[in-house]
Parts: sequence; structure tokens; C-alpha cells
Amino acid sequence: MRLAGLLAAALFGAAAAFSAAAQDAARGAAVSAERCAACHGEAGRSAIEGTPSLAGQPALFITTQLILFREGLRQVPAMTAVAAGMADGAIEDLAAHFASLPPGPPQDRRARDPALFAAGQALIGPRNCAVCHLPALTGREQVPRLVGQREDFLARTMIEYRDGVRVGADSQMNGAVVGLTDAQIAALAHYLSQRE
Amino acid sequence: MSSRRILLGFAAALLAGPALAQAPAAPAAPVPGWAVGRPEGSTLAPHAARMTVTPLDQVPVGAIRLPPGFQAEVFAHGMPGVRAIAEGPNGTLFAGTRAIGRVYAITRNPDGTTRTRVLLQGLAQPNGLVMIGNSLYVFAVNRVLRYDNIEANLDNPPAPVDLTAAFALPTEQEHGGNHHWKFATLGPDGRIYTNVGVNCNVCNTDRDKFALLVSFNPDGSGRRIEARGVRNSVGMAHHPVTRELWATNHGRDWAGDDAPQDTLLRVRRAGEDFGFPYCLGDWRDPQFNAGRNCAEFSQPAALLGGHTAVLGMRFYTGTMFPEQYRNMAFIARRGSWNRSRLSGFDVVVAHLDAQGNVTRVEEFLTGLRNDAAQTFADRPVEVHVLRDGSMLVSGEQMGAIYRITYRR
Repeated sequence: MRLAGLLAAALFGAAAAFSAAAQDAARGAAVSAERCAACHGEAGRSAIEGTPSLAGQPALFITTQLILFREGLRQVPAMTAVAAGMADGAIEDLAAHFASLPPGPPQDRRARDPALFAAGQALIGPRNCAVCHLPALTGREQVPRLVGQREDFLARTMIEYRDGVRVGADSQMNGAVVGLTDAQIAALAHYLSQRE
Repeated sequence: MSSRRILLGFAAALLAGPALAQAPAAPAAPVPGWAVGRPEGSTLAPHAARMTVTPLDQVPVGAIRLPPGFQAEVFAHGMPGVRAIAEGPNGTLFAGTRAIGRVYAITRNPDGTTRTRVLLQGLAQPNGLVMIGNSLYVFAVNRVLRYDNIEANLDNPPAPVDLTAAFALPTEQEHGGNHHWKFATLGPDGRIYTNVGVNCNVCNTDRDKFALLVSFNPDGSGRRIEARGVRNSVGMAHHPVTRELWATNHGRDWAGDDAPQDTLLRVRRAGEDFGFPYCLGDWRDPQFNAGRNCAEFSQPAALLGGHTAVLGMRFYTGTMFPEQYRNMAFIARRGSWNRSRLSGFDVVVAHLDAQGNVTRVEEFLTGLRNDAAQTFADRPVEVHVLRDGSMLVSGEQMGAIYRITYRR
């Protein structure tokens, strides 16, 4: 590729421009207070085991997942009723709201285990995480932010992908975690949850 | 879905993929399919789909440019991800999607406006639609579902007849998540024609199982390979006079901005070989040529540009458009991502001479790509000729179907 990053950055801009239409974070905050905050946290940082933090997630990631819930393509019992019949406009507002919240770790994050952290860090390159999640692992477009996510949620999600009980908007993640042991997943989850 | 099938599928993808040199201790993790072969430092990636409704006042019909005498209007809208189009005998239009998992139904109100419904949802990439009599066939990756008497039941679609086992198409897992969605069309011989895309970006694969155009009897029996070595076709049509099968085909990624090109294929006899992964026309794949002489393979009927993402194609069989367009091939180019500058995002016309040779390819519907800003306003995916001779063009990114008419 001779023509380097500038043009590529322009391409990302092109795609991003369309996902920003007509969203209203303030309206989304009102919907969130009513429907989301009890589990995902007032500031979008979850204090509940197994429930993800949403603060700072890319807007298109939030939008995509809510639509997958609503359409019955991703099935999580706790989300079925919340997403049922939710209007596209409300989904876009919620996405803008969560994307606008400053990301950060949950208050109950445990202390770092240096050995586990290092073991997780060593898997990031071989597992090609940065190809989609970007080198900072903060996500882009429909791809989620990983850093600072709840460790328990990250571990469970990777196990579900590995064991084929969850498929995303596409099946890229099933391939990304193929063959990982439970111990490797635990290390990855620890590293990602601890990384700022 | 069983974990074993997913894991087997990815193991197959691993064996097929080129970027596999990994430490021997741990199983190798595949690079995501779209990124196989991506050079270090490149940040090119597929454009994200929009899965929410675009308000009518933001549907970019005003940006569309056409030859003199043609006009564009919004035929239907509010259908995120709208792609392939099939038409029922009573005039209902059905439209498939990918990620959002829906099939839409569009009917016309007495005043000429349209009404859209979400007919089906929760399906895996139900892009392929075929109408045979009163039955709608839906191809959702390997699942094949037949909805009988559908036009009389748009508000309450019947339980489908499941033909999945009879068609026995490769699963998403066998595809490793690559090129598993289907285009489908009804041939003049009453058979269903569809694609089985390759299970990677580029790789050595089972050439009797992937990278094919195939046809079936409507009950799923009688599988016949129509063409092999076709990387991925998401648009086909039979010539209205010669009845030959024509298809669009996507070239591989990460081999340069302008090579290989996307192509238009003319299948003169069932089973001919278009050369993937070794060759495409006279272009030799830099990694997978394997010493093959490209002259031994069938040549494309036309080159349609690098990474333009050629999708739906139909021969114009109406009478509304000027005579010069009769029986010419209209081709939607969804638009590039694997290229330093955008290409496509338009509809082109391939003009054919009396022998069926393509004499030239010219732009028809443009204006959706902004070259200065490197942005796009919509992504054309399907073309469909209505009975009045007007033409529908689906715009996947904005969830709208445009109607093109001609007035002298």
C-alpha cells in the first residue's frame, strides 16, 4: 500500500459521518435513567457481576447490539424485554449517551495480578486483537472498547464465543478465540480489565 | 448451534488461510477474514453498516445523477440494510438484508405511494430471495425456507417449509464466516441459481464446494455446478434472449488498489472455470497462481474496476428506457473499502453487441460518491426492472429503494 494512513483515516471518517445522524445524548440520558442505569450503572460503569460497562463504547457498537437484541439475533434474557419494540431513534439516542460518558473501570475492580496481567498481554498480539479493536483496544464503529471492561464479563463473553453459544454481528470473534484455554481467557480478561 | 461445528469450521479456515505461521505451542488464531493479507500499518477496514432507519429527509435522492431524461425518486424507505429484491405475481416487492436479519415486503397503496412491512426477522443474513409462483424462497446463509402463498399473508406469514437439508449448502461455520451470504435468482429453466462464495479472502480451497455458481431444482435436488473458480458473486441474471447465465464477481482484497478487478462473467456452458484462486482474466494471483497459465481459464466478459464491489445485475427488459438500453446489463457497484480512494457507489451499464460481447461499460447512476471529500451517500446493491419499465435500485446504507424513470 503506497498511499498511507492519511487517506485511510479519511475513509474511516467517511463511514463514521453517517452513524452520527440525529442522535441526542441528552434524550438518551433520560432513557438510560429509566431503562439502563439500574444494571449498567448511573455513569455507565457497571457494579454488577456479568453486566458490562457501557461508558465510552462506540455509538455504533451500542446501536448494533441493541438492534441485535431487538431483532432476536442476540439472545440475553435480561435484555430481551428492555430492547423489545425499542424505536430506532431511542436506540441512537442511547448510543450517543453511552458514547459520551467517560470510560473507566468499575469501582469493585480487583488489584492487579502482575503475572496474570503479563500472561494476558502476551496473547494480545498473537490473537490479533488490535486488527479490529485498534492498538489501544478502545474499539471503533461496531467494534467494542475492551479496556477497563469488567473482568468477569470479558471472561464470560470470550468463553461464549469460544464455545459457540454466542455469535456477534458476524462470526469474527468465534475465530479470534478459537482454541483458547480457560486459563488463557482468564489472563486476557484480567489484562483488558486492568489496562487503562 | 453446536460448538463443534464452529470449531471445525475455524480449523478449516486455519488450514486454508495463508497467515498461519505461529508459535507451535498454542493453536494459531486466524486473522479476521477481511484482514487476511493486510499489510502492516494499513488501517483500511470495511465500512460499518447502518442498522437504523434513515429519515426520509436524509435519504440522498437529490444527490443522484442520471443521463438526460431520467429521474430518480424515493420508491420506499425506512428499511435498514435493504439489499436484494424479488417481485411476487401480484406486484409485492420483497427485499432481503444481511446483518439486521430481516426480509421486508413493499406494497403499493392506491394513491401510488408504498407501504413497507417487516415480513420476517431474526434470520441469519437473509439476502437471497427467489419468487416461484406464489412461494417466496429465502436463502439465509445455508438455510433455505419456502413461504407459500406469501402475498396473501403479508401480515401473518405462514410457517415456512424448511428445505435446508435438501439444498445442503455449506454452513457459516464451514465458511469460517467468509462470503457465506447468498444471492439467488430463478433461471428460465425453472431452476434456482445461487452462489457459494469462497471461505476466505484468498486461499486454496475445495473447488467443488466453494467459489461456485450452482443451480438446483426448486426442491433442492439436482445440484449442478454452473461455474467454478468464482470467488464471490452476489448478483446474477440470465440473458433474456440467449438465456446464458451472467454474474458479477468480487476480486480478492489486499493485492493493490486496481488489481484484481471486479468482473462481469458470462457463463457459456455449465461448469466452466473462471480461475480463482490462480487467475482472474489474465491477472495472475501473486501468492496463489501455482504456476497456472491464465489462458486455460474462462475470461471475464468485462472488467468493472478494482474493489468496486459489483453486486446486483439485471438485463433491462422494459420499454420505458430508450431503445439503446434494451437487453443491456445494469450493474450495481456497492463501492470500495479495500482501496486508498473510494471507487464504485454507482450503477453502470454494460453494453452488449449482437454476439453478446461487451462493447463498453458506462456510468448510469452516479452522484453518491464524493471524490473530493472521500465520502459516500449510499451504497447501491440491487437493480430490479418493474413491469412498467422503470428500474428500482436498492440503497443499503440508507435503507431506501430508489425508482428510476425516463421521460422523453
